[in-house]
Amino acid sequence: MTRNTEGVLVAVASALAAFGVALVEFAGGESIGAQVGLTFLVFVIAFGGIHVALRAWAPDATPLLLPPVALLAAIGFLEVYRLSPYRAGLQRWWLLLAAAVTCAVLAFLSRAGLSLLRRYRNTMLLVAVGLLLLPNLPSSGPLPIRGLTQGGSRLWVVFDLGFTELHFQPAEIAKVLFVAFLAAYLADRQAALTGAHRKLGPIRIPEPRQLVPLIAVWAGSLLILVYQRDLGASLLLFLTFAALLYAATGAAGYLVAGGLLAAGGGLAAWRLFDHVQRRVQAWLDPFADYADTGYQVAQGLFALGTGSLSGSGPGLGRPDLIPNAETDFIFAAVGEELGLAGSIAVLCCFALFLAAGFGIALRSRDRFRTLLAAGLTFVIGLQTFLIIGGVLRVLPLTGITLPFMSYGGSALIGNFLLLGLLARASQEERS
Amino acid sequence: MNGPIRRLATALFLCFTVLLGAVTWIQAVRADTYRSDPRNARVAIAQAGKERGMIVSADGAVLAESVPDEDDPRRFTREYPLGPVFAHTVGYTSPIVGDGGLEAAYVDALRSRRDLTLSDIVAAILGRDLRPRSMRLTLDSRLQQIAYDALGDRAGAVVALDPRTGAVLASVSKPSFEPTLLGGADAAANWDQLLQDPGRPLLDRATRELFPPGSTFKTVVAAAALEAGVAGPDTLFDDPSEFQLPGSTATISNFGGGLCGNGSQVDLMRAFVRSCNTVFADLAIQVGAPDIGFMAEALGFNRDLDFPLPVAESVFPTAELENDDAALGQSGLGERNVRATPLQMAMVAAAVANDGVLMQPYLVDEMFDPDGNTVSRTEPEVLSEAMSPETAETLTEMMERVVTEGTGTAATVPGVRVAGKTGTAEAGQGRSYPWFIGFAPVDDPQIAVAVMFEPLPAEGTSETGGRVAAPVAAELIRGWLETRD
Repeated sequence: MTRNTEGVLVAVASALAAFGVALVEFAGGESIGAQVGLTFLVFVIAFGGIHVALRAWAPDATPLLLPPVALLAAIGFLEVYRLSPYRAGLQRWWLLLAAAVTCAVLAFLSRAGLSLLRRYRNTMLLVAVGLLLLPNLPSSGPLPIRGLTQGGSRLWVVFDLGFTELHFQPAEIAKVLFVAFLAAYLADRQAALTGAHRKLGPIRIPEPRQLVPLIAVWAGSLLILVYQRDLGASLLLFLTFAALLYAATGAAGYLVAGGLLAAGGGLAAWRLFDHVQRRVQAWLDPFADYADTGYQVAQGLFALGTGSLSGSGPGLGRPDLIPNAETDFIFAAVGEELGLAGSIAVLCCFALFLAAGFGIALRSRDRFRTLLAAGLTFVIGLQTFLIIGGVLRVLPLTGITLPFMSYGGSALIGNFLLLGLLARASQEERS
Repeated sequence: MNGPIRRLATALFLCFTVLLGAVTWIQAVRADTYRSDPRNARVAIAQAGKERGMIVSADGAVLAESVPDEDDPRRFTREYPLGPVFAHTVGYTSPIVGDGGLEAAYVDALRSRRDLTLSDIVAAILGRDLRPRSMRLTLDSRLQQIAYDALGDRAGAVVALDPRTGAVLASVSKPSFEPTLLGGADAAANWDQLLQDPGRPLLDRATRELFPPGSTFKTVVAAAALEAGVAGPDTLFDDPSEFQLPGSTATISNFGGGLCGNGSQVDLMRAFVRSCNTVFADLAIQVGAPDIGFMAEALGFNRDLDFPLPVAESVFPTAELENDDAALGQSGLGERNVRATPLQMAMVAAAVANDGVLMQPYLVDEMFDPDGNTVSRTEPEVLSEAMSPETAETLTEMMERVVTEGTGTAATVPGVRVAGKTGTAEAGQGRSYPWFIGFAPVDDPQIAVAVMFEPLPAEGTSETGGRVAAPVAAELIRGWLETRD
């Protein structure tokens, strides 16, 4: 596949987004007007822009990354538009901004290279931790920036700009910085981590001193869970950390220890917190408490079942009956209106993206790039699995966004930042 | 390092395989379960605001129609011009509480097919007509209104059948409700209010509730006796003031106490005309549970009736009466565990009227397209040949004398030969269910009716069917024969 094919596919995705908006307008009895053209224009500028930036600053990067992202963004945008044209209008601006971030990352790193990140790994950790702590700012006060509790979780930050308020979910950006830090840290400390082992019977266990960072991150994740009640971010960060430790050392003990700690933390959270218990209850039997805790999951299942094989068609279903359809439950909205065909298409797009990402990691000759690409890909894959698994009742619902598809500016910016880093890793590996 | 990354990637892809399996399970295998879950409002919402076909009465009155909204001609509001008079039969359509009555039973025929679903597009390509169908009912709006008015403020039900075809001419249940209340914005609140109303206005007493039929059930016992040759109208029975139930200390006495005849012997004709409990308890035991049960089942008891509205199954517990003559004696009077819907008792009268042949009751006369062309029409069907024409003729003679000289004189219609049977089923605390079943004219039956009132709430307010229910039947018969002229 060549860069030209990438350009064609991106144009097709843009056209699909516009066509989807036209179908929604038509289904709502509106005449087809400015929204269609505006959507096409924004997609062409955003993804065409990234395409051009790739040609200019990362010409050797794999062309397999951008098309699945463009298609996912198109399908996601179509459902956001169907659920709330107002939010879709905002989402268009976020899309432009996120694409600008990707282009900026590509332009900036074209000179310095990814090794720049390696040098500033501790700064990135500090920024990530700072971002994660931001929602704990007081909810009211003289500061123009404050925390916000929504749906029982405290994961939002509000910027008061005077004329308007900007809502921001810092964990979405922190996760990228955190993965970049981890990749740099593990690349530097590889020898120490793999060298020393103690033997406990037949099992090799790492030196206790080497377990300190693992336990520190585990404690940090628990803090996020306790103070921000953000089950999704907590699980995502911790499991990504355990996976990267395993990738760096090859010691399955880290995975086992990570799995045990996650299970122990989860069990403790389940014993201690109502909101975790409710989610587990809604997972085991969403219809037991249909009117209250099980309502969202049950509505998701109704949406998917009503959509059946071919879906209702864009604009013709009722995904608006699902609470938070445009964020956590965007997958159920897609399943209702585009059917099983649409659901499988979305899963395949994610699988293609993951395959391209892991391909970059496996071909990289540099430890840092390998770990960075693997970590960034893994975090997208895990996040997708956690939220879609929650919607499909494979897992308890964790309440995180679906990458590239859900409504939300911070999520788009974080994930497009990730896209830029992955493309850069691919460029360096091939040139 | 590549080994662990490969394994991580493999693990993620396995997770995605699980997602693929789960989404296929939900959207392909379990799709219909979720789609049709009553808590899933999507199907009802999809139908709301869409055009539906009309429902009209046999005499052409509009019972339900979709009227385009003023500001959005693509959306429709369902209107029910006759409201509560037809609420239980025609039903209602609601995006919040779902559909009821014929609106629910015929939703697929009534709905517009221009939804652009895949199957509709295929049907359109094949040249099928996608416009909504309309339906003409067998119900007559004038007779329905007479029945509705005649029941007054009391809880009760009326069913009128054409005995020759089984067409339901009227089916009214009171108290009733305004069906448009369930279609508007306040549907959920109105629904809750109707559900909590102690008068149970949503309940269709004509078809969905079982009542003790009382002495109207003597018609079934008499039919079984005549058919089995156990007795004829002239057969003499003892005439005690109390009938001792076998194997029991309980006794049966006549309504209001006293004798049936002169105190020595009385014939079956007189016992039927005066509705003597002593004689019919005796007769029921002589005929036996199997023969009465056989006749009851031929007339529709213990059967799942094929009817577009949900119908409660009327009960004659043959098996438990076979070795319990005391219970059988009481059951012969339509008490104890015998239960029937008003529709069921109208079918009993209709079978006698139609020379013993019971016709399948039906509500929908025909379906027609928007051009008025008939698409399908219901052909009358025989449900069973319940009794011989001779038995029916004898019963008719007995029932006519109930109206001319017996307990049912209040059902008299000047110039018309009316046949009938009264019933006064016990409801406890000195209260009763007044009943009347009958048909007219005797020489050319055109209408068979069942009238039933629920007991008044206060103690000691027992009323006889002859006094309360028979006049309603007379009004129906008079009204129906006038519209026929």
